[in-house]
Amino acid sequence: MNKPRLNQLFELARNEPAPAPPEDFAADVLRAIHHEPRAAAPETLSIFDQLNLLFPRIALAAVAVIVLCVVADWGLTAAGMPGLSEGVSQISAQWLLTPDEFQL
Amino acid sequence: MNDDAELLARIRNGATDDFAGIVRRHQARVFAILHRYERDAHKVEDLAQETFVKAWRALGQFDNRAPFEHWLSKIAVRVALDHLRREKRRQNEIGLPELGDDALDWLRSDGEKNELDARSAAELLDLAMRELSPLDRVVITMQEIEGRSVKEICAATGASGVAVRVRALRARGKLRRALEKLMKDENEQTQAEPTV
Repeated sequence: MNKPRLNQLFELARNEPAPAPPEDFAADVLRAIHHEPRAAAPETLSIFDQLNLLFPRIALAAVAVIVLCVVADWGLTAAGMPGLSEGVSQISAQWLLTPDEFQL
Repeated sequence: MNDDAELLARIRNGATDDFAGIVRRHQARVFAILHRYERDAHKVEDLAQETFVKAWRALGQFDNRAPFEHWLSKIAVRVALDHLRREKRRQNEIGLPELGDDALDWLRSDGEKNELDARSAAELLDLAMRELSPLDRVVITMQEIEGRSVKEICAATGASGVAVRVRALRARGKLRRALEKLMKDENEQTQAEPTV
């Protein structure tokens, strides 16, 4: 069986018409899908569902932020600089909530 | 917005019966794809129904990025592949009795006879293709009979481009050997028949 002869066979087979679907084929399919769960209709997700779906990502991001803060605090303390908690109170004391502002 | 998109939007809004419109629009193509892998018209109908039911189940996953027709064709190819895998377990031998006279004449002629109708050619190929693995058969059918590109075959089968090319090459070799075996069997059978 040489290559041109095999190609000829492919070419001939290509022209074979497929069987025509029966008239009531679409109705048969509909009957079949009526027994199926309504998976096709997309669900409308509430905000809680969406948060629920995002939960693993949000939890990971929160853990990452906490770890970052703890490491930064530990690093700053080890370097002899004021820790985050001290830094925050200093900043709030100096810039945000200066004692003068509370004086009436 | 094309007709598929309109129908799909209505189906998503609860108009389940509009899925019949989707079926009617694409049934000919689905039957054509499945007929490449199964010659029994009743089985083709069952497989087509399976294809549409699977499409229905997965409709929520269709994201409109590709044409619906391509998405559905991919499901049909997967259904055909599963079917071939099931059938492969019980049909490993190829035999001449299933071939018609035209196909046998074409085999006997060894290049002299070129006339062969499409149906006989498809029967002959179907018989020879039983020697192939289901995935090899899908690859060679899509490439040589449906004229699909390697990229399309990759998308439908999930195989890589290299795998598709290797499988196509291997399938051609196996097909040629299977057809040669059929020719040999046919010649032996003709010689063994008593002359009157």
